[in-house]
Amino acid sequence: MRPRPRHVFSRARRPKNALSVSAALVLAVALSACGSSGGSSGSQISASTKQTIVFATTGLGAEAQATAAEIKAFEKVHPNITVKVQQLASTSNDAYQQVVHYFEAGDAVPDVVDADTAWPASFARANWILPLSSDGISPGVLLPKARASGTYQGKLYAAMWYFNAEGLYYRTDLVKQPPKTPQQLVTDAESALKADPHLREGLALEGMKYEGFVTVFIDLMGAFGGGLNPAHFDTPGNLKALEFLHSLVYQYKVTPQAVAGWSEQNVQDAFVSGQAAFATNWPYLQSLVNAKGSAVIDKTGFVPFPSDNGAGVATVASDALVINAKSAHRAADVDFVKWMLNPGQQINRAVTSGDPPSVAAAYTSALFSKAPYFRADLNVFKAGVPRLVSPDYLQISTDVQNMLSSVLANQTAPAQALSQTAAELASLSK
Amino acid sequence: MTSTSTAIRRVTPSTPPRRWGRRSASGKRLGYVLVSPAVLVLLAITGFPLVYNIWNSFHYFDLLNPTSHRFVGLENYRQVFSNQTGLGPAIEHTIGYTAVSVPIEVGLGLGIALLLNRPIRGRGVARSLLLLPWAVPTVISATVWKTMLDPQTGGVDYVLSLLHLPGAHTTWLNTSSLLSWVAILFADTWQVVPFAAIILLAGLQGIPRELYEAATVDGAGAWRTFWRITLPLLRPALLVVLVFRTLSALMIFDIIYALTGSGPGTSTSTLAYVDWNSFLVNGNFGLGGAISVVMVAIALIVAAAYRLILRPKA
Repeated sequence: MRPRPRHVFSRARRPKNALSVSAALVLAVALSACGSSGGSSGSQISASTKQTIVFATTGLGAEAQATAAEIKAFEKVHPNITVKVQQLASTSNDAYQQVVHYFEAGDAVPDVVDADTAWPASFARANWILPLSSDGISPGVLLPKARASGTYQGKLYAAMWYFNAEGLYYRTDLVKQPPKTPQQLVTDAESALKADPHLREGLALEGMKYEGFVTVFIDLMGAFGGGLNPAHFDTPGNLKALEFLHSLVYQYKVTPQAVAGWSEQNVQDAFVSGQAAFATNWPYLQSLVNAKGSAVIDKTGFVPFPSDNGAGVATVASDALVINAKSAHRAADVDFVKWMLNPGQQINRAVTSGDPPSVAAAYTSALFSKAPYFRADLNVFKAGVPRLVSPDYLQISTDVQNMLSSVLANQTAPAQALSQTAAELASLSK
Repeated sequence: MTSTSTAIRRVTPSTPPRRWGRRSASGKRLGYVLVSPAVLVLLAITGFPLVYNIWNSFHYFDLLNPTSHRFVGLENYRQVFSNQTGLGPAIEHTIGYTAVSVPIEVGLGLGIALLLNRPIRGRGVARSLLLLPWAVPTVISATVWKTMLDPQTGGVDYVLSLLHLPGAHTTWLNTSSLLSWVAILFADTWQVVPFAAIILLAGLQGIPRELYEAATVDGAGAWRTFWRITLPLLRPALLVVLVFRTLSALMIFDIIYALTGSGPGTSTSTLAYVDWNSFLVNGNFGLGGAISVVMVAIALIVAAAYRLILRPKA
């Protein structure tokens, strides 16, 4: 029997070796990819050590400039800490997905995140963020409604960075006194439309299918004694609110059906150009109505949305600072958050970007002398109603958006839409 | 000598095939070796996600509630086909939109391809211009359409108003299901018809001229020539376009995301939109996985059906 040539063996073995090597290479690449995205901190770095922390934030324009100034001042006071800004997507949905991906992957960065106040409850339930109160950040420094917005299961997880409450803008040249009830708002809007032929909307509101419409509806629910309670959503107050919304478009015709595509920007354009008598919007508009190019300079007022009981209501929805539970720089992160809540920094930010302070100590003459309109904001904030703090908030919001969009398009009667949505929300809360 | 000749007789007839066969086997092995990294990468990026997704679809898997992960059997699939969760209507919308949009888009694409296949002036320029809409990313074109359809600032209502045509003061998006679907179809058609036209034009140019000349000699008219020559020989290109367009229509997401956000209500929601919402908004990887599996199944059935219907006749 002839011995098999050696090269036959070697050739036969080569593929197996090559396959193994290939598989190992692919696995190594895959594992290294996984490894690089993970990375949790085993040990904490003290605040006095030279280090860099990453701050993920969404702000653009004036807000970004204000943030940069705050960081520069922080780095001057804390020379061993460098803050690197990681820009998140400008839209809330996209930014949310980015942050969820970082946390889900167990990333140690970003260390500090600028989060919508709708997110922290779900992050806290998933143990992606830790309570701030245990690190010496006192909840007491925040405005009461700001505190409530960042508190989940009795603990402060998110420190509201600036305060935001959705109120009602009105034209002082068309309406002598701000309306005290929703019905008076309709009457005033009708009168204004009759009096001024240049007006196109009696009441402009954010009616696009997005979270902004939900915050308008929280105002409306509050105005009629209702509220966003998933376990008890089909209530007389909420039904009145939904019927009121429907009647604005189809009965009183003070709001055009076109608002179905409107966000804050569209409402802002309508009001600042002088084509709307009333508009729902946030405090940032205060600085724009009196800016160059506005058609309503010195002709506007900002009040809570009128309610049946006369007290008014303003939905609180803002951005808050949370700290990544996997961050290795917790001490530096806490210093940074405390810095951002410092009254001096809050005043600078308010004046530069128009973001109202979230800490009570910032509402002083130092602020009002530079920007007097924050006095009006403070009155609106007193009527503030925090959004629901729930880990399922985004799903709840999606269901409410579907309901509102359907009613605004006159596809579903308010009572039927409310009843259907209540069933969906009840199933979520089980 | 004898031994040599014996050796030659014994070896000569068998050696070449044996050496050839060995080379062939080793060549095959080398081929496997060379493609193995690509296969492994493909398995890692497509095979693994597919299997992982199927696995997830039998579990309650809420990304934002890690401790609640548990096996739930077919519960997610029950939800997919339940009217209460809104997924039943999403399936209807998806299939309905596909059934309406694909014939319109492929029909228009075929018409344009037939036109450009004729010796007309400016054909080269027209072909180049035709590709422009297809080169624009879908989200961007949808956003542009959204701006154009805005009743206050958009160009569509303005042009209709200038021409004193009906619809000049129409709110196209999110006030009526029908108008919203029309807007979606219009934006989608504007973008994808060029793709269909270019593929079909390539198919038309592959049909030998002699066949048309023979048909002319035999006295066949334009309609008869189209049915008997053009359409049968265009079958492979048509199959490609139909499969691509149908699968794209079944997966339609970005235009709806940018134009209507699935509104008014949920009347323009599709499977892909609901899937995105389940996965990336609600973090529900179990339900999202089940929807994805259903979408893959529908896509496979459609692709197989097209292959059966349009396979070359023996």
